[in-house]
Amino acid sequence: MAEETKCSCGSANVAIFPCAGASNVGQLSNKIAVELEKQNFGNLMCTVGIGARAPGLMKSAEASDRIIAIDGCPVNCASKTLELAGFKADRHIIISELGIKKNKDKELKDNEISEALEKTLDILQSE
Amino acid sequence: MKIEILGTGCSKCKKTKETIERVLKQSGVEAEVIKVEDIEKIMNYGVMVTPAVVIDGDVKLAGKVPDEKDIRKWIGQ
Repeated sequence: MAEETKCSCGSANVAIFPCAGASNVGQLSNKIAVELEKQNFGNLMCTVGIGARAPGLMKSAEASDRIIAIDGCPVNCASKTLELAGFKADRHIIISELGIKKNKDKELKDNEISEALEKTLDILQSE
Repeated sequence: MKIEILGTGCSKCKKTKETIERVLKQSGVEAEVIKVEDIEKIMNYGVMVTPAVVIDGDVKLAGKVPDEKDIRKWIGQ
């Protein structure tokens, strides 16, 4: 529990906002965001906190040098939530466009996690 | 006025405290300045990057050192 709030000293601040929606791809978006944070791509932040206009979250997002939005499907709730709050995602990943079909299963499959993570990393590293 | 500086002791957190204390001294405004290092208290403000500044419970800034102009505005100067 030591790394939940990251010091902004040092590397660039990158905020990662997943949709964490109620589907396989929604839950995958959150899992991928967690994995990206583990790999030091940025800080996982609470997208619903942006929806709620929670001051701490809003100020944290404002301090970010870059924003990555990860949506599960083309409804794009994460990126739209950010837009409505005045933020623009620098990179936008949509899990269902990575070859994973949306369904109502909330139990994540290891092969889908690996596939989504690999493809997301390819996209982010191709910048 | 209660000014909380949220951070776990990094250089930006120290600079934030120094800057706020300097502005308070220059402006003659009295305030209780508290350094908050408890991660649970920091997270309960919804702050994801430090340093952050909270004045009377209101998060004013996160993720960077405030400039003096901002601090003066926050303290009503």
